[in-house]
Amino acid sequence: MSLRNIMVVYRKELTDSLRDRRTLISMVVVPIVIFPLMSIGMGTFVAKMMIKAKDEVPKVMILNGRNSPRVVADLKALSGIEFVPSADDYKQEISEKKIRAAVDIPSDFDAAVEQGNAATVNIYDYNGDLKSGFAADKIEKFLKDLQRETVQKRLEARKLPATLVDPFQVKTENVAPQEKVTGAAIGGFLPYFIIVLCLMGATYPAIDLTAGEKERGTIETILCSPVPRTDIVLGKFLMVLTAALCTAVLAIISMGTSFHVAKQMLADTPGAKDVLNFTIGMKTIGAVFLMVLPVAVLFASALIAIALMAKSYKEAQSYIAPLTILVVLPAVAGLMPGVEFNARMALVPILNTSLVCKEIVAGTYHWNYIAIIFASTCVYASAALYVAVSLFKREDVLFRT
Amino acid sequence: MPAQPLISVQLLCKHFRAFKRREGLWGGIQNLFVREYQTVRAVDDISFDIEPGEMVGYIGPNGAGKSTTIKMLTGILVPSTGRIISNGFVPWRQRTDYVKTIGVVFGQRTQLWWDIAVIESFKLLRRIYGVSQRDFDDRMELFHQVLGISDYLNTPVRKLSLGERMRCDLAAALLHNPPILFLDEPTIGLDVVAKDHIRKFLRAINERYRTTVLLTTHDLDDIEELCRRIVIIDHGKLLYDGPLPELKQKLLRTKQIKFALRDSEAAGTLQRALSSEGLDAEAVDEVTYRVRFDRTRVSTSELIRKILAAGDIRDLLIEDEPIEEIIKRIYGGESVMEVSTRT
Repeated sequence: MSLRNIMVVYRKELTDSLRDRRTLISMVVVPIVIFPLMSIGMGTFVAKMMIKAKDEVPKVMILNGRNSPRVVADLKALSGIEFVPSADDYKQEISEKKIRAAVDIPSDFDAAVEQGNAATVNIYDYNGDLKSGFAADKIEKFLKDLQRETVQKRLEARKLPATLVDPFQVKTENVAPQEKVTGAAIGGFLPYFIIVLCLMGATYPAIDLTAGEKERGTIETILCSPVPRTDIVLGKFLMVLTAALCTAVLAIISMGTSFHVAKQMLADTPGAKDVLNFTIGMKTIGAVFLMVLPVAVLFASALIAIALMAKSYKEAQSYIAPLTILVVLPAVAGLMPGVEFNARMALVPILNTSLVCKEIVAGTYHWNYIAIIFASTCVYASAALYVAVSLFKREDVLFRT
Repeated sequence: MPAQPLISVQLLCKHFRAFKRREGLWGGIQNLFVREYQTVRAVDDISFDIEPGEMVGYIGPNGAGKSTTIKMLTGILVPSTGRIISNGFVPWRQRTDYVKTIGVVFGQRTQLWWDIAVIESFKLLRRIYGVSQRDFDDRMELFHQVLGISDYLNTPVRKLSLGERMRCDLAAALLHNPPILFLDEPTIGLDVVAKDHIRKFLRAINERYRTTVLLTTHDLDDIEELCRRIVIIDHGKLLYDGPLPELKQKLLRTKQIKFALRDSEAAGTLQRALSSEGLDAEAVDEVTYRVRFDRTRVSTSELIRKILAAGDIRDLLIEDEPIEEIIKRIYGGESVMEVSTRT
């Protein structure tokens, strides 16, 4: 093995790839373009959706309400809700989003409240529908206020202290730093994209330099050169790794820039502020990059090993498709809010990096986990690289018939 | 005492294990569960020696095992059994040192960078082979003289014609001045002029540097113009190894005489004279005829005399059976072992 040879092969492959449009697209264009699209597009979209949901005047139906003119009148006086006459198929109308909610005031409700008798008010809404939620929330808030008012009146009438029903107050206060708050919101999302883009950036060159070479028949000419096979495959590996890292770095830069720009562009749009309210420091970027480094090595080696088995470009693509799912799944698992660390998870490749990066973005550094994850990923990456190098020395792999 | 051969191949075998596919839908399902393999003997017990400075044609039909042999000779493939010593090396074992002493051209594929200027590939090869700048400049000068490649050194390979590309590929293979050159179908797909150019160049380097050349080809003109010796293989087995003229001598069965009459009137007399000999004159056009005959039964001079006596002959041409026909017969199974001189 000689570094000189490896670098000669690497330089050749790099020069070649820089002239190849497909490599450039997956390595440079995609990571640069995807984040502005995502951040500005998504930011605008989400903000608009929220504004629209808040601005729409929901239609709410009052059911029954006989002999309870006071509560009905108070309800109707609520601003931001349009009340519609009651109908029997209110459940269907809610399902069909013709009305957003319905409130069932039992008969003689006013009197029951006055006399201290039990009464139940039902609110019907459509779970998961944002606008239905808004409407139901308003009604509920009104009723809760009414409840408190009633209690207060009763206590006053009997000359009892307010602490009788509220013996103590409960308050929660957030001590997490601002980073942590935003980190939870986008923490899963950042490493996920970097990992997936890393894989995408490496895929094309990995296929091109192995199966593509077989398909073009140029593999024989390379094997005839006085460069040992180990050096050839390591040179190729470095090229694929370069592509993966280039994609990752560009993705990180593009993401940082585009979120910054998006924040300024959408500064005046209410709602967008909440979506884009975060900052990612240089330290975070550096740490995430460091954690992604062995993952990129793992990807580059695994992709070369797999693509080497194929006889043609197409065959290699069909072998790599399942790998993409294998990578995306653990990366997605990192996105889920409930998934937390434990020692066993720290050994699952990709998932571990995804999780630890989420924590890093959120401002927490679990040094022992970071060490375990970095080391274990390095072990996996070395194993994959070893397999790739061994395969490249096998005649039955290079000249599969 | 003859010198040590430059290339010595002894009882060389290369076997592949190939997956045997069954036919039809049911066969396809069976294939998924029970796999049968068969051993393909791509190269089967082949032995030959090549002396320094020889140009040897290695021929055989498609799938005969030519390329497999070349791949073993260049160290890409490891022989199943048998021995190769080439230029003092065991190719597959001492590959990196060995390939510095050989040049290889695969006719259908290029070792040049597809999208960039030819000169870049040469510079890369210079680094890979560790050729000094001075030697490099000298070689480039030579290639310019004999191949005339300097006109398109700055053109990307993809824009070159096949002939130009082949010249560049040859130059690339010879950049480190190897004593041995392996060519796998170097003239495939080239036009007549380009073929001629390549052949002239190969002759020139063989004469000037005593470069030993082993070339596989389907174009027997390559062989006739370049090689004194041919090796024929089929189904991995050696069929013939010896000088080309000797093969012709022994296997040449028929000759043909083509003659042109001054006018068409004598045609009838001529036909009669020939049919008395059991021969048939085939008309090429109104006045031109062709007679094929077995040279072991009919004397050529006797036949000419008869033709001249039968009519007024304007022109006469005696031709051997084309080499293609002979090779076709060998591929067809005709034994040549009795004429083989080296096996």
